[in-house]
Amino acid sequence: MSQLLPTPIDLPQAVELAPLGVRVDRRRRRFVPGWLRLLLGNPKGRIGILMIVGMVVLGLIAPLLASRSSAVDFSLLDARQAPSWHHLFGTTDQGVDVFAQVVWGARRSLLLGAAAGALATVIATILGVFAAYVGGIVDDLVNLVTNVFFVIPTIPLLIDITAFLHTRGMLVMILVIAATLWAFEARILRAQALTLKNRDFIAASRVAGESTRRIVFGELMPNMVSRIAAAFVLVFYVAILVDAGLEFLGLGAMDKPSWGVALYWATVNSSMLQGEWWSFVFPGLAIGVTVLALTLILAGIDEVSNPRLRATRVRRHLARRALGRAV
Amino acid sequence: MSEAALEVRHLEKRFAADARFVGRRSYVHAVDDVSFMLRPGTITALVGESGSGKSTVARLLARLYAPTAGSVIYRGKDVARDKSRRSVLRYRSQVQMIFQDPFGSLNPVKTIRHHLERPLRIHGIVERDEVEDRVHELLRTVGLVPPGHVADKYPHELSGGQRQRVAIARTLAVEPVVLLADEPTSMLDVSIRIGILNLMLKLKEERDIAFLYVTHDLASARYLADDILVMYAGQIVEQGPIEQVLADPLHPYTKLLLSAAADPEAGVETKRIEVRKGLASAAVDPPDGCRFVGRCPLAIDVCSRVTPALVEAHPGQAARCHVTAPASAGIAAVPSTS
Amino acid sequence: MTEVIEPMPAAPAIPAPGVPIIELRQLAVEYGAGDRSVRAVDGVDLAVHAGEVVGLAGESGCGKSTVANAIMQILRPPARIAGGSILFRGEDLVDKGREELRRYRWRNVAMVFQSAMSSLNPVMRVGDQFVDMMRAHEPVSRNAALARAEELLGVVGIDRRRVRAFPHELSGGMRQRVIIAMALALEPQLLIMDEPTTALDVVVQREILQQVQDLQREFGFAILFITHDLSLLIEFADRIAIMYAGEIVETAPSARLQASPRHPYTRGLMESFPPLTGPLRRLVGIPGAPPDLSAVPPGCRFHPRCPLCVPEQPVMFARQTTERPVLRELEPGHFVACHAAGAST
Ligand SMILES: Nc1ncnc2c1ncn2[C@@H]1O[C@H](COP(=O)(O)OP(=O)(O)OP(=O)(O)O)[C@@H](O)[C@H]1O
Ligand SMILES: Nc1ncnc2c1ncn2[C@@H]1O[C@H](COP(=O)(O)OP(=O)(O)O)[C@@H](O)[C@H]1O
Ligand code: SF4
Ligand SMILES: [Mg+2]
Ligand SMILES: [Mg+2]
Repeated sequence: MSQLLPTPIDLPQAVELAPLGVRVDRRRRRFVPGWLRLLLGNPKGRIGILMIVGMVVLGLIAPLLASRSSAVDFSLLDARQAPSWHHLFGTTDQGVDVFAQVVWGARRSLLLGAAAGALATVIATILGVFAAYVGGIVDDLVNLVTNVFFVIPTIPLLIDITAFLHTRGMLVMILVIAATLWAFEARILRAQALTLKNRDFIAASRVAGESTRRIVFGELMPNMVSRIAAAFVLVFYVAILVDAGLEFLGLGAMDKPSWGVALYWATVNSSMLQGEWWSFVFPGLAIGVTVLALTLILAGIDEVSNPRLRATRVRRHLARRALGRAV
Repeated sequence: MSEAALEVRHLEKRFAADARFVGRRSYVHAVDDVSFMLRPGTITALVGESGSGKSTVARLLARLYAPTAGSVIYRGKDVARDKSRRSVLRYRSQVQMIFQDPFGSLNPVKTIRHHLERPLRIHGIVERDEVEDRVHELLRTVGLVPPGHVADKYPHELSGGQRQRVAIARTLAVEPVVLLADEPTSMLDVSIRIGILNLMLKLKEERDIAFLYVTHDLASARYLADDILVMYAGQIVEQGPIEQVLADPLHPYTKLLLSAAADPEAGVETKRIEVRKGLASAAVDPPDGCRFVGRCPLAIDVCSRVTPALVEAHPGQAARCHVTAPASAGIAAVPSTS
Repeated sequence: MTEVIEPMPAAPAIPAPGVPIIELRQLAVEYGAGDRSVRAVDGVDLAVHAGEVVGLAGESGCGKSTVANAIMQILRPPARIAGGSILFRGEDLVDKGREELRRYRWRNVAMVFQSAMSSLNPVMRVGDQFVDMMRAHEPVSRNAALARAEELLGVVGIDRRRVRAFPHELSGGMRQRVIIAMALALEPQLLIMDEPTTALDVVVQREILQQVQDLQREFGFAILFITHDLSLLIEFADRIAIMYAGEIVETAPSARLQASPRHPYTRGLMESFPPLTGPLRRLVGIPGAPPDLSAVPPGCRFHPRCPLCVPEQPVMFARQTTERPVLRELEPGHFVACHAAGAST
């Protein structure tokens, strides 16, 4: 047995991860955050981001594409026109330009969705995750509040509040949607945080001396990125739908262009029945494309936030590239 | 006997066994009247079956749990109830813990670099621009080369043994005086275990670290440790120098453990143990008397009435047993604090 | 509907000497298909004779459980038998029909799974699980099956009244015994135990092993005992097979293996267990890690970790890195697959 060499240290395994694709270049990191680079490196994330950016740009340059008045003002002379060069997406029964509706509507709908989504997600994350980690009486209290908010229905509350305040402003919409939807997210996030908090790596960070704040935001939360992103997308989506729903009920701000208003008019005019598919299809498509883009980004986040998936993706990608070169 | 790096006296931890809000609640006595000290350059093994309270002791020492009673004496001061951030941070810069599961004790979404950087930054161990060098040095210390390459990896890209080395490197970042290792090799493959054990031996010798080595494997305890603490149902039932205890165990439970362990040197002849009732795990509201009484071949009348005290029956070797270490045979091993 | 279940072709009560209960010949098992397949078991020869306790040891992932599942004929896709044969009393199982195989399982060969303790149904009483299992194989009445369950629980040292218990009311050790009792219900000729006690404490582990040994002596079934704990096997098994990266690298009677292991991997494994008695010295274990089975080293699979494989001996080195060693009988009953073994001593 004396031939056995005294090498008590196990050498690193030969399986190496190709460093090219994953190593974050420190110099470039300053200009483009690492997570965005990762997301852009992911095919799904990239397409999703491009689509969303396209939508946002469309909203931003709306004044260049169509006049605001053509998106809201009735003009019976132009009514019921099929798509043409003059009216790209056609016009409604009231003579409103559908293309103008869609591009101007992008402003309101995207802003509403993003703001409500962000607000609800921030509240849900802070309350849900923090309470779960801290535990004890804090958790009990937050849980109680969450459960109260959880049972408040969104649309009736919105109807009541808009009636009470005599306003249908964007801010009220955002606040009410966020206030009624965060609880749902908070419950999901709390459940995940509860299982994560009992993992040894959290105990290990405590032993290392991390503060509670850093453990929650620096160690726990990065493990929940895809859940948190999913929460955001869900609220975003619901906010656009609620907006459309309110318009549907005739309770929205009819004088402001939004995808919801467009759909409302399409329904009121029974456009589909009369063969005026354009006034229904284009606003619907706008919502659909936005949701698809968000879902793609979500799928991308799902993949890049998990280093395991990220690595295999990159490896497969590299393998494919290498193959391509060899052929 | 050199001075203690860390000492616990009459440590006690109870967990509520039910969620009752009124009336008398019942408690699991996970750790009951445990006293011992860890000395620099010495490895103390804490052995016992699962559920006997070993991990709870380690977590109490790591200050992950607050003790129900008793004291943790560090640098002459009882720190058990001092919760100020400053005191906790100072404690954490000296007392570190290695966890059982190398798959669970590293954050899956963080690189190896992050795990080693954090303690360096939290405790300001080195200047900012030296952090990367120190990370590499730590990785080299635990035998992970080339360090620059390993640092960029995520935990899932390493094998179990490599992960456990990272976990050890993290504890070394703060240059600890005390290391608590909770079954650091039980989740690892046989061929990798010995490497981790040797690494711990090396650290003990080179850095004069005081180790608590928690395990249920007597053979590895003997390989590594100088002293042994045998735990049964939340209590320490025997303690002393490990060779002495294993060669001549006082407590019947230690004997049982010894005869149950497989020993390759003993060869193919099979050992047999007596099968009896009783559990080594911590009990809910245990009655007075010896906790081993149900399994003990030596039990006498008094055993089920009076809880035996830890008595130093042989020089340096103490046990909790009315028969093999009666109170008349020696002095109480642990002086009362009050 | 009554299903007529024919007994298996009458097996001789006393096996003809020399015909093993189970014999593996050049068994190969692959996971996945095409270029991404992994050969988890590659050319394994192993025989278990009546009344014998054979141990199978090796590092995690070397293919122990895969061998067990192949013998049990419970490999599921993506796993498939890629070559070789599995002989039960001389008959190849590879070309048997499904119904025949179903009867073969449990009745002839029973298995205690690696995650056995969690394999009991948590919402069913222990006794009912016995009844279900037995009635799937034999046309017995419920009461008869329950009576048998009680009897078997008694045999493994559990109070008979516990047939009415739910699994969560039993300790880990007791659950493990229940599983063993279930495996013995149909009086199999071979019992495969895949790491039956790794999750248990030393004391409980020994209690259970003792009981299994008693039962084995009483009923005379053979055991294939899988574990990574070599020191346990040396005590418990009659013969030990050491597996590395899908191959068997050494087999020998336990005493012989303990006294003079010949394969460097076996020696390394032995070097990984510190002794409980006798002198202590610094152990070295085995450097490195086992290979990824999708890219096994050429030649001897152990050569990258082998202390006997050094470029300073070019002739041997060339053989070790290119030629795959086969099992050779160095002494009667002692087989080793190593180019250097025998040459060095
Ligand atoms: N379903 C599967 N698909 C692909 N590969 C598999 C699958 N199951 C097992 N393997 C691979 O087959 C090899 C042998 O696995 P096996 O479970 O037989 O190992 P083992 O020796 O029993 O290990 P352990 O000691 O950890 O139980 C391993 O490399 C494993 O990764
Ligand atoms: N966080 C906890 N809450 C309630 N009971 C616990 C907790 N941790 C441990 N216990 C109980 O304390 C006893 C000792 O557990 P532990 O210290 O983990 O044992 P060991 O490490 O020796 O296996 C067990 O009965 C266990 O169930
Ligand atoms: S005190 Fe009594 S019961 Fe306890 S170990 Fe000693 S002899 Fe046995
Ligand atoms: Mg433990
Ligand atoms: Mg297995």
